[in-house]
Amino acid sequence: MKGQRSQDDFVAARTGEWRELDQLVAGGDAIHGKDGAAISRAAALYRSLCTDLMRCRAAHYTPDLGGYLDALAGRAHSTLYGAQPFRAPGLVALFARDFPRALRANWRLFAISCALFYVPFAIGLLGSLASDEFALRVLPAPALEAMAHAYSKGFDAGRDAGTNTGMAGFYVYNNVGIAFRCFATGVLFGTGSLFFLVYNGLFTGTAVGYVMSAGHGGNIWTFMCGHAPFELTAIVIAGGAGLQMGYALVDTGGLTRVGSLRRAAPAITRQILGAATMLLIAALIEGFWSPSSLPAPVKWSASGVLTVLVALYLVLAGRGGAEDAARDRRRADDRAEPSAS
Amino acid sequence: MIKRETAREPLDTTTEIETPEHVRFRYHVAGPAKRALAYLVDGVVRTGVVFFAVCIAGMAGLVSGDTFSHASTGFLLLLYFVMEWGYYVFFETLWSGLTPGKRALSLRVVTDGGHPLRFVDSLLRNLLRSADFLPSVGFFGLYGVGLVAMGRDARFRRLGDLAAGTIVIMEERQHVSGRLRLDPPPTPAELHGLPQRLPLSGDELDAVELFLRRSGKLSAAREDELAQLVAPIFARRIGARYRDASRFLALLHHRAHEHREKKAG
Repeated sequence: MKGQRSQDDFVAARTGEWRELDQLVAGGDAIHGKDGAAISRAAALYRSLCTDLMRCRAAHYTPDLGGYLDALAGRAHSTLYGAQPFRAPGLVALFARDFPRALRANWRLFAISCALFYVPFAIGLLGSLASDEFALRVLPAPALEAMAHAYSKGFDAGRDAGTNTGMAGFYVYNNVGIAFRCFATGVLFGTGSLFFLVYNGLFTGTAVGYVMSAGHGGNIWTFMCGHAPFELTAIVIAGGAGLQMGYALVDTGGLTRVGSLRRAAPAITRQILGAATMLLIAALIEGFWSPSSLPAPVKWSASGVLTVLVALYLVLAGRGGAEDAARDRRRADDRAEPSAS
Repeated sequence: MIKRETAREPLDTTTEIETPEHVRFRYHVAGPAKRALAYLVDGVVRTGVVFFAVCIAGMAGLVSGDTFSHASTGFLLLLYFVMEWGYYVFFETLWSGLTPGKRALSLRVVTDGGHPLRFVDSLLRNLLRSADFLPSVGFFGLYGVGLVAMGRDARFRRLGDLAAGTIVIMEERQHVSGRLRLDPPPTPAELHGLPQRLPLSGDELDAVELFLRRSGKLSAAREDELAQLVAPIFARRIGARYRDASRFLALLHHRAHEHREKKAG
């Protein structure tokens, strides 16, 4: 039969090229750094390796040869089809368009997330305003005392730059961490997000209420008003994205659970990227602006402006003809999908 | 049609990927043990970086007379945050699916279509790490959720992998080993009962070869036990008798390759 060679002849004839390819892809990720000739040589060698792999299977050469070629083809494939370069336009499109759109497209779960956070927040706030006993049942006494003490002084003295930097670091670590956990645990059918939203809402509300009933309400609200529009909104967005994961697992729209989760993933990732950015902004405000000695009216007007800006951004950014067209296309895709699969 | 495809897939920890060249090749999927080791290596790297930074900050604090000022605590917390949430995304994006730990164990994350990982895939799979690593004891994750998810999936995907559409594959180098030689060499008497052309399929011969290559690593009893599973079936088909099952399989292998060489030569 034509082309039927013994395995030894085959290996002897081809092994030089395999070695060469092996060396070219040995760096694992460095193919971009090589010169053009080496890259096109690697591509040519990879294609002939693919042919060798097919021949090896067809001729039933020994399994170890097949394994060797499979592994080499895999590594060459990973190297040649290496990571796409990071593109700035994608980032711009995310914030100018994709993030607010993804949020609006999932507004129902965002609204549920708001309720899950703000209703316990209100209960905690009113409860601890009504009686200290309520606050003491929710949070341990030392934590509440520390909170009340921290807000007893006011901001006339401001804080030194070192403390500001330190606290900004703490806010990134703590608050972004809270938001990420709030999101990630949503993959457990939404239960984790549900828990963390209620938990954080209740604790925050109780702490604020306790500080108010200790007589420092003006201080804590003036402190919070600057960063709250970013911080609380972002935590709720993250929680909402977590609930979307849970919802995608339950209402699969005829797909498998994993398939449904995969379909929801791009919109969810956009929202979590947006929320993370908002939290970084919040940490900077909370670290440097909120504790400053500026008079309360300035802080409150800034808060008003920021709240309006955040709301306008989330409601209006990326609206227009393109969005409608995209939505129509998505609907058409959704309709087409069941028949295609 | 889909059903038939799955039925033909071998019962193994491999996954087949079709490239743009319409070539299909197989990846070995990495199991929990290898991935746990890679996680440990990454854990050591992350802890090492934080520990190093704490030492620097402590020394700087001693020099300036203000041990662990607020500012340096802030930077340390920021670093800790980056190590907890950013470490994996950074390396997997930069190195196309590798982290120092995965590199040490020759693992790589790719999409389930075999394509390289994108930033958003890496972000999603690593954010969901905090769900997979539950239940946790302090900062140390036990990965109970992730293990259950991996155990239920043919490609060992944890929840983060399922959501991001990624798999972790092994990229180790394999070597073409030399021809199997029978030791001691077969005697004409042993080969006498075997037909020139064996009624065995290519897959069956492959299985025999894989067994013979492994047999050096098995205990004698286990080797015999495994050989006994197929030797009677082959013997009945050929109409031959044997005394030592493993030796019988080796003879079959010898005969098959002797035949193949003659044909090719």
